[in-house]
Amino acid sequence: MVSGALLFQSLILGLLLGGLYALLAAGLTLYFGIMRVVMLAHAAFILLSAYVAWWFSSTTGLDPMISLVATIPLFFGIGYVMHRFLLARLRPTTMTMMSVLLTFGIALVIEGLLGLAWTGTQRRIHLPYGTSSVEFLGAQIPVVQIVSFALAALSLASLYLIMKRTQFGRSLRATIQHGQAAQLVGIDTTKVAGMGFGLGLATAAVGGAALSLQATIYPSLHWHWIGPLMAIIVVGGLGSIPGAAIAALALGTIRVLLEIPMGSTWAQTVFYVALFLTLMLRPQGFFGGRLAQRF
Amino acid sequence: MRNASDTSTPLRRGSSAVQALRGAGSGRLGPFAAILVVVAVLATWPLLAGNPYMLSAGVIVLNFAVFATAWNLMGGLTGYVSLGHIAFFGLGSYGTGLLVIHSEINAFVAVMAAAVVVGLLSLLVGWAALRVRGASFVIVTIAIVLVMLLVFQSWRSVTGGSTGLVVPRPFPDLLRPEHHRVFFYIFLGLLLLVLVSYLVVDRSRFGQALKAIREDEDKAQSLGIPTAMLKLAAFGISCFLTAIAGGVYALWFGDLDPIFQFDVVLSAQIALMALLGGVRYLFGPLVGAIVVGSALEYFLLNFGETQFHLVATGLLLVAVVLFAPDGVLALAAQLIRRLGPSATSIREESAAEVRAQQDARALAERVEEPGADATTDREDRR
Repeated sequence: MVSGALLFQSLILGLLLGGLYALLAAGLTLYFGIMRVVMLAHAAFILLSAYVAWWFSSTTGLDPMISLVATIPLFFGIGYVMHRFLLARLRPTTMTMMSVLLTFGIALVIEGLLGLAWTGTQRRIHLPYGTSSVEFLGAQIPVVQIVSFALAALSLASLYLIMKRTQFGRSLRATIQHGQAAQLVGIDTTKVAGMGFGLGLATAAVGGAALSLQATIYPSLHWHWIGPLMAIIVVGGLGSIPGAAIAALALGTIRVLLEIPMGSTWAQTVFYVALFLTLMLRPQGFFGGRLAQRF
Repeated sequence: MRNASDTSTPLRRGSSAVQALRGAGSGRLGPFAAILVVVAVLATWPLLAGNPYMLSAGVIVLNFAVFATAWNLMGGLTGYVSLGHIAFFGLGSYGTGLLVIHSEINAFVAVMAAAVVVGLLSLLVGWAALRVRGASFVIVTIAIVLVMLLVFQSWRSVTGGSTGLVVPRPFPDLLRPEHHRVFFYIFLGLLLLVLVSYLVVDRSRFGQALKAIREDEDKAQSLGIPTAMLKLAAFGISCFLTAIAGGVYALWFGDLDPIFQFDVVLSAQIALMALLGGVRYLFGPLVGAIVVGSALEYFLLNFGETQFHLVATGLLLVAVVLFAPDGVLALAAQLIRRLGPSATSIREESAAEVRAQQDARALAERVEEPGADATTDREDRR
């Protein structure tokens, strides 16, 4: 019989993990909204950022979070360049399928370069607060999980404010909704879309640093992340950021709860089960708008 | 992938060399004869291969060719890029292996039995995956590979997990070089089967409908084509043929490991082969398999099991998608056309070509502002 305390602890841990997943899936949703692109390299970029955080922390001895000062602008720039010079060159009619292969290629290049640079050895950041935990209503919550959840919540809140309150955010949403109309009111849609892509990749930088705190990393790990993340965006409804966030919280919690009876390997299948159920019951996802039905 | 709005290689009648490349030579039997010639040429490889290693490399390349051609039945004809075919390849090989180990039936009957079961299973997966278009299909196909990897690694009691599953050989008396030679011809027979299947589908009304789906799914649907059912049928046939290839591979290689049987990277390499050769050409995937397959063997031989082959595959994939999405056969056809006699003085343009030119102009304008994809938006609202 599972004790109440264990259940409560798992629930908290699940919500914390779900929050992180929400941040990671937000980037994927953003790319899809902007260009109908399934960005398979997203998890590879997350891993790249995690490696940079690990490398920074192990060479300087400082906190891995400080690496974000460099990686966020860098990833923003990479995203802008990727959109401008790679994805925008694809033919619009075959964009979805070709972008999958293109970003798959980029993911392979990143995985290969990570392996060449730092070998296939498993790496882990050692932090002074790495093993400590706080007690909350009888549940033991590791500090690293709280830190990465806080980072995810902060980034999602900033993303929300950028999208809703700034001039750039309004232009980006207009571009996503109707590109031509956005042009007619004087928005430079190419530039805005490129910056939106950069924004998506910047979330990968934050997510990677947050994950590096609690995960053991190795070059082919990104395949284990991209599957759940893609399942989340389909369940939430392609193109819907709130949908992705809700699906992430729900699936993250279910996953951690299932780990009690099933073990961690089988618990991962919850994402794929949810993906198949969604496609059978409600193919457009649970929160998707008009975008999801067609793509 | 080409479609009506491409102008890089406009279809034009008249050049026989081009048609031979497309596998649509003169008359109804031309392409079948072309298949026989190609297979006959490939059959000389065991005589040329100096050592057993070269022979086994030939088997691997043929295996890729069968796999890529089967993939092309779905990916090329309907335009739905599947990155999950390796899952059905792996299921075919594990199904065959388990049948051979646990029952007394003939090894090749086991291959067919496993392939039939996997084909039915693929219909179930396809039913879920094809309910929505494009992006979700790709996502489901990748998910199926990842979930199979997870299941086959964890379910140790049946699959042997990461320790692997040893499949007994169907011809225990043969020495290793003889074993490779026999399987080379078995795979060659399989290639013949897959090429003929592709050609038959390509020329049938079924194939025409699949191509209509590729060009414009909305219009195809409005013409009364049962798109959902036909896509599912194409997916099922493609997966069935893939599973046969997987089963024969299991008998040849004799040792199965989930990491290799459900390797999503190999899935992408198969797509790369088809794309590199040209998804619109009968022999496109075969050409791609020979090029990419030999390159992979070369890398393995010279650089070993490093991460280098990942970088090379990735860069090649990016380059092909960006610069030669129609494949090398399309480039070759273009070259032949340029060298051949020029077109007649009276211009013969089909409606499709005129439309393609208009689209190209529209596309050229849109390249300036890629954020604005008006067509997709318009289709959304329908």
